[in-house]
Amino acid sequence: MSTPAIEVENLGKSYRLRGIAKASLRDLLVKGWKKSQSEIFWALRDVSFQVPRGASVGVVGPNGSGKSSLLGLIAGTITPTTGSVRTHGTISSLLELGAGFHPDLSGRENVFLNAAVLGIAREDVARRMDHIIEFSGLRDFIDMPVKNYSSGMYVRLGFAVAVEMNPEILLVDEVLAVGDLAFQMKCLDRIREFQKRGKTILLVTHDLVTVEQFCDEVKLIHQGHLVSQGNPSDVILTYLKTYMARIGHLNVEEHGTREVELTHVRMLNENNEEATTFTTGNAMTVEIHYRAKKRLEQVVFGFSIKTGNGFFIFGTNTQIMKVSVPAIEGEGIVRLRIHPLSLMEGKYFLSLSCHSWDHATQYHRLEDWYPFAVKNKSTAEGVFQLPCSWEIKPNALPQGN
Amino acid sequence: MTLISAITRHRELLWNLAARELKLRYRGSALGFFWSVLIPLFMALIYVIFLRLLGGRGVPLADVIIGVFAWQFTVQCINAGLTSITGNANLVKKVAFPRLILPLSATLANAITYVMSLLVQFPLVAILFHTSGQHFSPWIILLPVVLLVHLIFNLALTLLLAGLNVVIRDAQHLVGILLSAWFFVSPVMYNLDFVTRHAEAHPWAPKLFLLNPMTVIVTGYRSVITRDVPFPFEPMSYISLALIGLLFVYSYRLFQRLQKDFADLL
Repeated sequence: MSTPAIEVENLGKSYRLRGIAKASLRDLLVKGWKKSQSEIFWALRDVSFQVPRGASVGVVGPNGSGKSSLLGLIAGTITPTTGSVRTHGTISSLLELGAGFHPDLSGRENVFLNAAVLGIAREDVARRMDHIIEFSGLRDFIDMPVKNYSSGMYVRLGFAVAVEMNPEILLVDEVLAVGDLAFQMKCLDRIREFQKRGKTILLVTHDLVTVEQFCDEVKLIHQGHLVSQGNPSDVILTYLKTYMARIGHLNVEEHGTREVELTHVRMLNENNEEATTFTTGNAMTVEIHYRAKKRLEQVVFGFSIKTGNGFFIFGTNTQIMKVSVPAIEGEGIVRLRIHPLSLMEGKYFLSLSCHSWDHATQYHRLEDWYPFAVKNKSTAEGVFQLPCSWEIKPNALPQGN
Repeated sequence: MTLISAITRHRELLWNLAARELKLRYRGSALGFFWSVLIPLFMALIYVIFLRLLGGRGVPLADVIIGVFAWQFTVQCINAGLTSITGNANLVKKVAFPRLILPLSATLANAITYVMSLLVQFPLVAILFHTSGQHFSPWIILLPVVLLVHLIFNLALTLLLAGLNVVIRDAQHLVGILLSAWFFVSPVMYNLDFVTRHAEAHPWAPKLFLLNPMTVIVTGYRSVITRDVPFPFEPMSYISLALIGLLFVYSYRLFQRLQKDFADLL
């Protein structure tokens, strides 16, 4: 077992709530250097973990949870308040894309400066200049002052320089969210290449699909604490359920009389394995365990699906579909099978409900309760996979001519 | 990370940042580098005329030119020092490298400007000497020594202010006031001789002046360039030199202590 690439031990970082920015002379003269405990905010607290060499680890968590602080601490730009970070191997962080770019200097001049900042030797840069320009796709603009660049161009040039560094450890912070789709693809390709060469990657992003695709392990951080870590789909599920759904356009809530209670729900993929990510065109099964406190007749089970930004896509129930539900009492299972799943790539939320036949009584409703992601293997675009086929008849003369 | 290892390991970055500083300073201005010479020259002229009007017996123009160029170097370093961290917030927050490189590169850029301005200053002084029948002192070979002491002093000030200005933003305003006061108590537009003449009743006054490192540095320049100014080899001068050393050590340590929090404070 070789030494891990990153070792984090009892890591903590605190900021002073008041005067985080600066102490004025007055503060200094009046209060002295004393740090009052009550004003301290812990951005990260008691975090310990190890990242093995060659692993790709994703870090997820709501905004302000301490993800960026963690990356800053590992990169060495921030000094820990408590604990320690040990890294083995050169680090390049894609969190400083274009850091140190000066608006008045040209792209080319900034490449040299940026490379020096990242610790790349001048000769290496000169040698690989063409490659860098090629990758950034800015050949026509390279001698223009970067103040005239668009923000996308800026980041592309920054990324092109950063990936030239060939580090042992790559820290990536949300950079994949910038640039157009073509450039994002290029970036992802480059990161995959790093993976193949056995580099260690730490990836911070809100794009959970990317995390699930790329990472061997995911760490969930909330309010500065490492809440959960392990298998990507498990951690992502925890994350979505616990934090993500409570914000944004979704209306996550649970209500009802609970005469029938939806006690447990399992989402299964085409291989009958519990999953949070499903594939377009394959099967998705939702297994609903219920418990009815008394004997109830003509109960209706329903479901609906919304997109991550709250757009209602589809909803139906056993009544609409004329499925006869026998009288229920005690525990049982209802299986909802969606096949083929015709949703395209994205994040979705599943709502489940159980109510009386006349809608008078809502027994149990779990609104936007179950998040899931869909991956699409084809490159077709849109919201739905429509069943379609082509028929082509070469040399067939149109009728009526 | 000690000073020397920071310099050797990151000399490329140091050089690149200094080059950036210089490139940007003159980019877009027609006269470019010549501003670095023209400004102290105009100042020297103004001071000479002002002093003649005020004090009657004047100070040689060559002395004032030497003084003003040297003073300008220190002022430039102080100003660059104040902004060397705060002006590079993006870099400090995002990239890990020894923070020492930033004030070092600022000082390096100013040192290069200063040495280049000396190349203009010397022919001017030579012309002035020629018109008054004077000659350069043979001790001019010791100019690098004076330069080195001056450089260390300026680096100390740069480090001190670079760190302090992050922690206490009042520093930059305070420095503005202190600089004007310091200018008048430093023999820039006058010389030690002038002080002695005007304070005959108080023979300790010139000695007190020597406690100011700037007095020792400016007088040092004058004594190695001209034949008229002797270097004051007195205990006070040595104390002043020791003060420069102490200030350097203190500034360096303070900077290293403060730099841990730079990313949080910017």
